Amino acid sequence: MIMLDDVMKFFEQYAYLIIGSVKAFVIAGALLGIVPALVWLERRLMGRFQVRLGPNRVGPFGLGQPISDSIKLLFKESIIQSSADKFLFHLAPAIVVFTAIVTFAVIPFGEPVKILGQEIGLWVANVNIGLLFVFAISGMGVYGMVLAGLASNNKYSLMGGLRSSAQMISYELTLGLAALSIIVLTGSLSLIDMVNSQALYPNILIQPLAFLMFFIAGIAETNRAPFDLPEAEQELVAGFHTEYTGMKFAMFFMGEYINMVTMSALVTLLFLGGWNTYGVPVWPILAFSGKVLFLLCVFIWLRSTYPRIRYDRLMTFGWKVLVPLSLLNLLITSTLVVL
Amino acid sequence: MFEFDLFELTRATVTMVVGLTAVLASLGVILCSAPIYCALYLIGHMICLALLFLLYNAEFIAAVQLIVYAGAVMILFLFIIALLGGKKEIQEPSTERSVAIVFVATMLGELFFSAAVGPTKPIEGVFDIQTVAEVGGSAKAIGLELFSRHVVSFELASVLLLVAAVGIICLSKFSYVPVRRRLK
Repeated sequence: MIMLDDVMKFFEQYAYLIIGSVKAFVIAGALLGIVPALVWLERRLMGRFQVRLGPNRVGPFGLGQPISDSIKLLFKESIIQSSADKFLFHLAPAIVVFTAIVTFAVIPFGEPVKILGQEIGLWVANVNIGLLFVFAISGMGVYGMVLAGLASNNKYSLMGGLRSSAQMISYELTLGLAALSIIVLTGSLSLIDMVNSQALYPNILIQPLAFLMFFIAGIAETNRAPFDLPEAEQELVAGFHTEYTGMKFAMFFMGEYINMVTMSALVTLLFLGGWNTYGVPVWPILAFSGKVLFLLCVFIWLRSTYPRIRYDRLMTFGWKVLVPLSLLNLLITSTLVVL
Repeated sequence: MFEFDLFELTRATVTMVVGLTAVLASLGVILCSAPIYCALYLIGHMICLALLFLLYNAEFIAAVQLIVYAGAVMILFLFIIALLGGKKEIQEPSTERSVAIVFVATMLGELFFSAAVGPTKPIEGVFDIQTVAEVGGSAKAIGLELFSRHVVSFELASVLLLVAAVGIICLSKFSYVPVRRRLK
């Protein structure tokens, strides 16, 4: 018994470490598990938008489809063409998934709860530079796509990789500037402070322009339609992942869908008031997930509504419309805050 | 039982490993013959530097290091390598190389000579962990320092960058005229 007590005492002071690791595992697992569900949701919703049924054969409402798809992808042969750079070819999808999961580490999704006398915050890490961390790590995600394009030794892949990096650099600017007006309003980089400052009304009411630009730039950052130029089928076969097969191919999609969730969560935290319920009697965490789910549906809705825009127009739109507008918005916001 | 401080030990080990990786990565930048791997080593080196900043509680600097250097600058490097098609260099002895080796050897000798002078002293900054916590975060601390005591140099640096940006646009936009003339 003395041994056991000592062991317990030893672990007690490292409780934060254990809680932290458990939280990290749970959130990483949940993110990976959410991807098949999102694929199912996207296919069902796309079916509805295009007046057809969508997957409905495997299980009720086609719910077994993602399971069978994942099993199929796992057992597929992994083909690497002989001219490819083997190491980079393997590294690229890993970078995409890794950065996508790590970005989510600073996303809070509820107020701290008390379990067994320990206060547990519903986030993996509460760093006081939360928003900057998100931008820093999601900026690393571009490397996955560029390296995939470079390592494949294929013209279409290379074009896709270059397009994705150019697009993401251009739209990251708008994303940052739109978020900056919220930072100026809140006076903090921490996402939790931002949610707390929206206790009375969500930021979308006073910053509608910033919300619009953040959302547009967010769609471009996650490479979703109508900004999915890097993987434009008609011109580039499949863009940077033309040469990928099996699970490595699926990993690019995992990264894309996790980025979609992260972007929706960011928009919710910055503009829609996070887990504030505004008088609606639901749990805060349900309010947060409901908002994120709604934004995810908007992502899918946009995909089935708008055609892909041309590459030069994408760049013109980003640099000549969005960046000046967001600068103007930032100028007005900071002037008002100072006054 | 278990008297040693696990936290400090882990921290020291992690700092050591990250620092060693940074040195190895920077060696990789100059020793590797394929340009794309050189660029990747440089990215790895910058990420290690960001981790070191993070280990010394400078979260803001770490994030800025990642966004500006590892994110924006290095992606342009990769861009250029992708466009030019980085071929592997063939390593062969030349006079330039022997001159470089002599130069590096001199520098190393000077380094060892300076080590013989005596123990080195750490440079004390304005901030320690307590003051940063009092101000409320490293981002705020840097902002206060930058916009109060160093505001002139900060603004001058931003003007310099603006001039560089304008200059690039002038150079790239107006050099097309002779090309068009040749086409006629």
